[in-house]
Amino acid sequence: MSTPPLTSTDAAPAAPVDLADLTPLAASSTTTDPKRTGFHHHHVALAPSLPELARVFTSAGYFLEMLTCEDRRLITPALPKMRLVQTWNRFDGPADRHLVTCELDPGQVAPSITAVAPAADWYEREVFDMYGVRFAGHPDLRRILLPDDSDFHALLKDFGQMDRGSEEGT
Amino acid sequence: MSDEPRGASSDPEADPTHPEAYVLNMGPQHPSMHGVLRLKLHMIGEEIVVAEPVIGYAHRAHEKMAENRNYLMFLPNSSRIDYLSGMIYNIGYCQAVEKLLEIEVPERAQYIRVIACELNRIASHLLWIGTYVLDIGGVTPFLYCWDDREQILDLLDAITGSRLTYSYGRFGGVTMDVDDAFLTGTRTFLERMKSRLPEYDTLVRKNVIFIERSRGVGIMDRQTCRAYGVTGPCLRAAGVAYDVRKSEPYGIYDRFDFAVPTESAGDCLARYDVRIREIEESLKIVTQAVRDLPAGPIMPDKPKKKFKPAEGASYFAVEAARGAFGMYLVSDGSEVPFKLKLRTPSFSNLSSMPKVLAGTMVADTIAIVGSLDIVLPEIDR
Repeated sequence: MSTPPLTSTDAAPAAPVDLADLTPLAASSTTTDPKRTGFHHHHVALAPSLPELARVFTSAGYFLEMLTCEDRRLITPALPKMRLVQTWNRFDGPADRHLVTCELDPGQVAPSITAVAPAADWYEREVFDMYGVRFAGHPDLRRILLPDDSDFHALLKDFGQMDRGSEEGT
Repeated sequence: MSDEPRGASSDPEADPTHPEAYVLNMGPQHPSMHGVLRLKLHMIGEEIVVAEPVIGYAHRAHEKMAENRNYLMFLPNSSRIDYLSGMIYNIGYCQAVEKLLEIEVPERAQYIRVIACELNRIASHLLWIGTYVLDIGGVTPFLYCWDDREQILDLLDAITGSRLTYSYGRFGGVTMDVDDAFLTGTRTFLERMKSRLPEYDTLVRKNVIFIERSRGVGIMDRQTCRAYGVTGPCLRAAGVAYDVRKSEPYGIYDRFDFAVPTESAGDCLARYDVRIREIEESLKIVTQAVRDLPAGPIMPDKPKKKFKPAEGASYFAVEAARGAFGMYLVSDGSEVPFKLKLRTPSFSNLSSMPKVLAGTMVADTIAIVGSLDIVLPEIDR
């Protein structure tokens, strides 16, 4: 598996990512109180800009800390959405955690950021496995934790409410 | 599942369509695969062309369970994510919820938590040293490590009632106070462990076979670590002094004097050295915590009975024995978490293996994979 070249030299200690590079790519960017939320910044992004956002973070020396999804279809049934969630952080200096969220329509395919951040490879497979969200350009999008022949996505809210006595899917 | 190998090495010799290419299956039933990891190794001769970890055998749906029970009911799960440093996960989960609900933790409980977590970290590193050296052929150190680790398990058993899956933390404090017997036992252990480290040095670190099998093997540089989100001792062995206890101090870690050990080689030997020095640092922290332990309550005067965090998302990270453990917790305002993502260090650490193992010899596979100190239940969750 080939690693894409990272544009920054890894020897230099990372300065905080330049917010001016991020804001054009995000629909909205806010600063949050890390003492309360754990995030220093929150960016709401549209799906097509995710790879470019990832590129800005990796160029600034950040690493993809986590990538996951939320099934928010039942929260707002009139406007059902799946939410992709990424957090980026840095190794050097005090933590500077950026939360990136991206609302997807059910069934919408998101662009993969694996080519920019190899860490996303397994995370995107897990999101596909658990939520059924597909990523365009992922080198090998298949299940990772559940059996390959599973016919369900386990973390969808309408699948198996285990302790609430649902008959279906348990 | 498709049998097509993933990716390809740039080396033309290392071509998976080569007429002599074959697949070697390692695990999940393999004594050195630490639980249930399966490695599908696409090989030519003894060289690994493409390594494909196959995981999920120990998947217990912790994240699904979290969405189906209230905050308190998830406590027993928390120390079962990584059963070798369960205390750190358990306390970390408590701290994440305390942060959401703004629960104050009494001083004494804070110190007890640090003592328990650092003892657990030492126990986890000891287990790794023992099993790692055993994996690559040295039987004796295992017995020494197990003996030392047993002292810690006895201590933790005395205050928690469990040997591995502690569930010791509660939102606001800990379940049981420590007594004089525990503190005396801890001091005895600290003295004992300090005298044991030179023995490990003689027994393991000066062993030519151990050095030959680990030096220059399985190199993970800073760039690889960053690309895959590798944290913990593996990252520090690559020269990066990243430790959540320092970069975003939680609990009362900012009160203790301890260093973040790093090495620069990034090989298996460096990962061993980092862990040994981390044991020393943890001993320092426990010594300070036992010395400064204040009297007082171990739970708030009026503990909350209902846990209903306000709507919103939060992230809380702790430094577990294997790296940065993060919890992305989303509340919808009810008593049940809307979403709890467990960012476990071993998952990211293992995801770097296809890159690290490509081009190595199969004889080094156990030495390399073992040096990560992966815990499969933590990867599979």
